[in-house]
Amino acid sequence: MAECLRAHPRPTLSGLTNRASLPLALSVTLGGIGATLLIGQMYLLATIVTDIAFRHHTLYQEKTLALLLLLAVMLRALCQAGADSCGDLAGQKATASLRLEVIEHLFQVGPVGLSHQNSGHIATTLSEGIDALQPYIARYMPRAAAMVVTPLLIMAVVLKLDIWSFLILAVTGPLIPLFMALVGYGAQSIMDRKWTELLLLGASFLDMLQGITTLRLFGRSRDSVTLVAHMAHQHRQSTMAVMRVAFLTSAVLEFFSSLSIALVAVAFGARLLNASFAFQDAFIVLLLAPEFFMPLRNFSASYHARQNATSAFKPIIALLKLPALRDLPPTTRPSPLPNIFTLEINDLRAGYGKDEDTLKGVSATFRPNELTVITGASGSGKSTLLRLLLGMMPPRQGSLSLRLTNGRTHTIQDAPIGWVPQRPFILADSISANLRLGAPDASDELLQQILEEVGLWNTITALPNSLQTILGENGAPFSAGQIRRLALARALLGHPQILLFDEPTSDLDEENARLVASCLARTVHTGRISLAITHRHDLLEQAHHILHLSQGRLAPMERSAA
Amino acid sequence: MTQRSPSSFSIRPFLYHARGPLLIGLCLSCLATLANFGLLFLSGWLLAGAAAAGLGGVITQNMFNMGLPAVGVRFFATVRIVARYAERLVTHDAAFRVTGQLRTHSFQTLIPRSESLATRTRSGDVLTRFVNDTEKLGQFPLDVLLPTLSATFCSTVSVGITAYFSPSAACALAGGLLIGGLLLPWMIGRLTDHLAQANTQRSTVLHNDILETIQGMADLLCCGAAPRQLARITAHQTQLNRQTFAHALRCNIIRNILPILSIVCVLSVIACAAHGLETGQLNGPELPMLGMGALASFEMIAPLMEARLAQERFRQAALRSEELCSLPVLTPPPQTTTALPSARELSFDQVSLRFHEENLLKDISFSLQPGERIAVTGSSGAGKSTLARLAVRLIDPDQGRITFGGTPLTRFTTEDLSEHIGMLTQTAHLFQGSIKRNLLMACPTATDAQIHQALVAVGLDEEINAMPNGLETLCGDHGVRLSGGQARRLSAAQILLRRPTLLVLDEPTESLPPTTGVALMEGLLTALPEASVLCITHRPEPLSFMHRILHLECGHLTEKGGDASPH
Repeated sequence: MAECLRAHPRPTLSGLTNRASLPLALSVTLGGIGATLLIGQMYLLATIVTDIAFRHHTLYQEKTLALLLLLAVMLRALCQAGADSCGDLAGQKATASLRLEVIEHLFQVGPVGLSHQNSGHIATTLSEGIDALQPYIARYMPRAAAMVVTPLLIMAVVLKLDIWSFLILAVTGPLIPLFMALVGYGAQSIMDRKWTELLLLGASFLDMLQGITTLRLFGRSRDSVTLVAHMAHQHRQSTMAVMRVAFLTSAVLEFFSSLSIALVAVAFGARLLNASFAFQDAFIVLLLAPEFFMPLRNFSASYHARQNATSAFKPIIALLKLPALRDLPPTTRPSPLPNIFTLEINDLRAGYGKDEDTLKGVSATFRPNELTVITGASGSGKSTLLRLLLGMMPPRQGSLSLRLTNGRTHTIQDAPIGWVPQRPFILADSISANLRLGAPDASDELLQQILEEVGLWNTITALPNSLQTILGENGAPFSAGQIRRLALARALLGHPQILLFDEPTSDLDEENARLVASCLARTVHTGRISLAITHRHDLLEQAHHILHLSQGRLAPMERSAA
Repeated sequence: MTQRSPSSFSIRPFLYHARGPLLIGLCLSCLATLANFGLLFLSGWLLAGAAAAGLGGVITQNMFNMGLPAVGVRFFATVRIVARYAERLVTHDAAFRVTGQLRTHSFQTLIPRSESLATRTRSGDVLTRFVNDTEKLGQFPLDVLLPTLSATFCSTVSVGITAYFSPSAACALAGGLLIGGLLLPWMIGRLTDHLAQANTQRSTVLHNDILETIQGMADLLCCGAAPRQLARITAHQTQLNRQTFAHALRCNIIRNILPILSIVCVLSVIACAAHGLETGQLNGPELPMLGMGALASFEMIAPLMEARLAQERFRQAALRSEELCSLPVLTPPPQTTTALPSARELSFDQVSLRFHEENLLKDISFSLQPGERIAVTGSSGAGKSTLARLAVRLIDPDQGRITFGGTPLTRFTTEDLSEHIGMLTQTAHLFQGSIKRNLLMACPTATDAQIHQALVAVGLDEEINAMPNGLETLCGDHGVRLSGGQARRLSAAQILLRRPTLLVLDEPTESLPPTTGVALMEGLLTALPEASVLCITHRPEPLSFMHRILHLECGHLTEKGGDASPH
């Protein structure tokens, strides 16, 4: 795990703390003050007990000490609450900034890079997965620091009181992390060996739940209940195999802390019996000895926070390792360019990952007021061409440029581009919110005008809530054809100078396909460059140009408009 | 601490089932806690006793027997370590058992609810959450039940032991423990429950924002809405942070009242003991002993506040799980089992179905004779897939009757029908594990030869042979990603292995290149020449294989000419 993280200049688990170094430092400092107060508290308590038990004081005589003790306890509680809260703050700060960073990165990866990912998984990784890192920063990190500070302070005090006890603590203290590490590595190696098995078994219940309908259709639902029980059983057994070793870690810790407390007690017992040592000092050391091991115990208790964080971090790193295919989206939409002459693509080559080029050198020129239809079988490279035009992935070679009438050239991203996708994503929001996605400031009048243009205005006003109707998943109550026209309206609201259609009529019945096609025809004007990608033939009649792609190359069969 | 079982999605039966290990775990937990108490109690006395004897001179020094208490200290220390280790093993094992049973039971509950579940869980995260929730619920004995019971028992014992030496000190201790064990947990619950609930809601909002961002990324980017979406997520994150911090702050403050309380209580115990010392009821060494005992008692009740916080999480998890497990059963199982008829005619008789207040299907009537092949065409969203789901009784119609071989479909379950009807869906799930395991899932008795035959029929054998591990190649989330076309053909092979007499195909050639689509249809129908076919499609490829073509539009089914083709 550690190696795999170090190999990449990406955030590491421990590097996360840099994002919240101030609250973390505060947390550790407050924790340190708390530790000092704890020692004072034990000293006062031991004094009071000794005074009453051996010096025949009454509690009334001890009232100053008792008040001091209460003060120390309250201050310590305050410090501890502050330390914990600072830790929580640090955890929040670090995870929130990581989350935003990953989301920003995903925007750079873009839809092409994410096309093979399960969006539900990513969302869970980003929400719950990143949340799982919080205890690591909020608890594990401050405790790791406390594990060093508090025992050292206690050792210093014990050294002043009794050299023998000091030696006992000094010897057993460092042994503990050593043995814990030994046992911990054991657990880790079992974990590593069983990683895949544990992963699969851990995911098996979700897998069965996802396949519940499939199981019914196979008539296997009754057997599958047994299967779920069986896999739960297996999961329990393999997890317990790991846990048996992990719990040994704590047992070792307990063993050493008990052993050294017992040694301290016995060493004192003999000397106290000889009356060669003061009870008060012995009592302080006895009270402090468990506190010497307490941070270690806390640390080992929060150790699983680290384990959880380590496994939660893997998918996050995997997301961050996805290659960025595009720049961060600009904060403002480009303003229209004056007088576009042509859009030229020149010897474009592009492909995915390490695969060979899907687009093998395509050149073409597109002019305003014309519709170019790009056809080709699936796999011919037309989707790749579309993605290049949309800036969702970079070309491996070649260029896409806009030439103006004054001879200046611009990159394609300098002009507003509109996209009408095959399956538009519908926000679970109102129709107007969906339309304003691309133009947040569009007026109602403009919405009406454009909806009339795509022939949806009457349909929408017939709905009870008109433009404020909340759209359901898959765009209900609209049909597939209406949704595509809605997407066209959404694109038009951004006043695009280049308008791209992705399979505008596929998966639609004839009536709807005809409606969409006629809408499309109406939008080819006002100096706009229009491109449509399709494998159907129903758009060809409206096309001014037809480009035919075959195996990544152009097979031109240009013809003038009918 | 109240022991209210979290909502009506009760985990009580599962706890009862695991009562053996839980009881053993409880005993071990009490043993470990009491051993710790004994250790501190005794070592306090040992030191003070030795000191008193030492001050008393040679005679008392010789009379003081260090041996026995020293053995006691070692005994308690050993018991504590061993009992704690055993307790952890036993209780974690029990928690896993509870989780397992909870999952098995809820799985069984969800099977007949699969269709309601499918409409609820399109984005997939509802199921992930359910899986996490069942795991959380399984931890209930570990995080809430056992700590509460053990703390109650052990603190009672410690009060009892203190009472033996000094009743007044015991009263002071009992008072402190009651405040720390009952009042503080009540307070933490009272002050943070609503914040915990609000946090869950806000987290859900954030989660949905993120999901929306990922799913709609292309649209967001192309509309230039990405920066606005980022700003929105940032704003929600900030709000969530503010709220979770408020929650954490309250928890931290209340948690740290306990150490103050414990010192106040120790002081009161010492005060009572000091009084006892004056009256001669106690001797010197017993005072530090009682003080140490009081400190140890507060360690016992420390887990109660965490248990109270955990309880709110359980309550929420139980509520969410209950919501899923009480989804409606769309197809009530028949009262009596009916043997599947030998005649295989499937007929729809004036079937109507409403969906979202709209008539999706209106008076649909048709019948599929044995060996006949019918295609149903129509635009997307016209209800074609619904027709397919009706045929295998994943859902029931609102009106009308569907019969299979003359027997109403309501006499059978989907599982009964699966023996004769094979359905190729667009959403077939590939299970994790090997390709072979997936094929055997469909038909556990399939031989290698049958598997090979099925793969050849769908044209997948060469592609699978080309994979380094062949049939043992892992698929699913943690294996190789089969392409959409490969997955579809694998599903088809699964159905072939089951040798159904009636095939229901839901968009079999969708998202396949035309030639592959035709080849798949040909392979399927050549392998099952006798089967009757109901094929739902908006693509032209399957149509040439069909005998009749029906068209579904606005809820009505009309017959088209036998050679009709939309293109």
